[in-house]
Amino acid sequence: MGGGARRPLFFVTNLAPATSEETRPSVRPGSLAIAGKGGEGRAPRRAASRRRNAFSSSFARRYGHLLFAAPALLVFLSFIVYPTLEAFYLSLFDWKGVGKNFNFIGLGNFQTALSSWPLYRAALNNLVFFVVILAFQHTVGLLIAVQLNARPRFMQVYRTILFLPVVLSLIATGFIWTLILSPNIGLLNPALRAVGLGFLARSWLSDTTFALPVVILVQAWNVLGWAVIIYLAGLQNIPEELAQAAEIDGATKWQTFRRVTFPLLSPSFTSLTVLTFIQIFRVFDVVYVLTGPVGAPAGRTDVLGTLVYRTAFGVGGLSANDARMSYAIAISVIIFIVMAAVSAALIWLLRRREVEA
Amino acid sequence: MTEAAPRRRASRARSKRNAAILRHAFLVFASLSVLAPIVYAVIASFKDQAEFFANPFGLPETWRWENYVRAWSEAKISVTLPNSIIVTALSVFFSTVLSGLAAYGISRREKPFAFALYLVFVSGMLVPVQMIILPLFVLLKSLGLLGSVLAVVLPYTALGLPLGVLVLTPLFATLPRDLSDAARVDGATELQIFRRVVLPLMRPGLASVAILNGVWMWNEFFIPLIISVKSSTQTLPVGIMSFVGVYSTEWGLVFASVVVSAAPIVVAYLLMTRHFVAGLTAGALKG
Repeated sequence: MGGGARRPLFFVTNLAPATSEETRPSVRPGSLAIAGKGGEGRAPRRAASRRRNAFSSSFARRYGHLLFAAPALLVFLSFIVYPTLEAFYLSLFDWKGVGKNFNFIGLGNFQTALSSWPLYRAALNNLVFFVVILAFQHTVGLLIAVQLNARPRFMQVYRTILFLPVVLSLIATGFIWTLILSPNIGLLNPALRAVGLGFLARSWLSDTTFALPVVILVQAWNVLGWAVIIYLAGLQNIPEELAQAAEIDGATKWQTFRRVTFPLLSPSFTSLTVLTFIQIFRVFDVVYVLTGPVGAPAGRTDVLGTLVYRTAFGVGGLSANDARMSYAIAISVIIFIVMAAVSAALIWLLRRREVEA
Repeated sequence: MTEAAPRRRASRARSKRNAAILRHAFLVFASLSVLAPIVYAVIASFKDQAEFFANPFGLPETWRWENYVRAWSEAKISVTLPNSIIVTALSVFFSTVLSGLAAYGISRREKPFAFALYLVFVSGMLVPVQMIILPLFVLLKSLGLLGSVLAVVLPYTALGLPLGVLVLTPLFATLPRDLSDAARVDGATELQIFRRVVLPLMRPGLASVAILNGVWMWNEFFIPLIISVKSSTQTLPVGIMSFVGVYSTEWGLVFASVVVSAAPIVVAYLLMTRHFVAGLTAGALKG
């Protein structure tokens, strides 16, 4: 599991000599048997069929593998590649998604988007979101993984519980926390009042200061399991002798961790960072449930996902007058380009600092 | 020296025990932070409206199973639960089979176009759903699929392919060629080789992909929010959300729906924890 994190596993174990197929006789054992059955007078036809067989089988041997990929490729091209190209195309128009207005405006949508504050506000919120979750995963998640790796009793039980939220939908997660944080009937405010901290109680999700941190915390609750499990897999890959050797050399526990264990965890660090990046820049569900598609209050929790959704469909669904489909697609094209560039850079940077065990 | 050694050993034992206690305290705290909200939600699903105000912490006075009965009809679980099961089952099946076939086809790097195709599939991971959702909507509409579950099954299948190919291709590449060569000498066709020789060996990898994709397909919210225009084709997450729009105060029913939507996947996870963890990490580490 963890071994796969270091480098793409692609074809590493492909140890067979160049290709065995090229050196094999061009007539297959199967066709030989059939040829043997034929009568004498059929020689010319047999030769022709053998020639055709030889042709088709050499073609099949060269390109036959592509037939296996064909169905997947067809689905992939129809439902991912075509819509992507269509998105690039539509982003050049002023189409609202409804109605007949469909005029070419070139890069106008991009110009408007790049000079509009909500895009930067949403991107900034995403960035805050990303940094906080990243820090949380690499500290709390790592700490839990290290504790689990010491193999305490009930380790399996802890692991099962801690990974559980990962399989819960963000919709379920969002509802659970909406109720807990609700100003009137929730759990948190009555609890604060019960222990005499009533002055801290507030309507968390409509508080301009607290809304974003609270939404981030809910997301963190949902994704913590990823950090635990990824770091645990990484830790279990590290030979114990390394840490023991360091301790014999007189290193303290912290030094051992800092200088030996953590550098060896760099593949886990990479995976988790990239995963978090992808997760957070797509974040939508949790914001939609907790603070709604407008990113209430006053856009404090607005992220790129909700911005695109709201711009495309309007606040009240597709029929709304404020839907600006092409403009929204242009925004998502910008997000796509930036995300692709950043992911590539991220992977490249993080891979470079990884060390071999 | 003779006195110090046992004392040192004793103190080391003591500090070791303290460390173990501290470790357990920490892990119990972390586990409770995860579990408490879930337990709270399950309890909430049995309360009636008044109890949410009167008794926020405690158990309900009477366990109101009728919340579930009412959620079944009023929150349309009777429609959304079967929809979720059908959509997830079909999408998992198609995406696993298609990515398995594709990964097998392109797992020999020296074959023409193999590596290029691998890169094409994997690059699909970078495409944000928000960008393609509207062109998808238009496409599905022109195909006349909008009112059917296929309208979400096809995009799910397509979006499940990149991860499937990413996880499976290196696995297929590790299969010894002698196996398929031997079968070929015995006269097996390429499809037979795939079905009889390769697939059985790939079962763990395929299970990983099925779990990996199954979890997000079951939980997916954004795609059906846009594409499931008819309420008769809605899946659970969207169904709950649209119910909340109408009866925003009926928390007992909302949580009954939430519990029903989460229960199948949580039960599956608890029964097959090892597979889930292995499958999901396989995807995360490659991603």
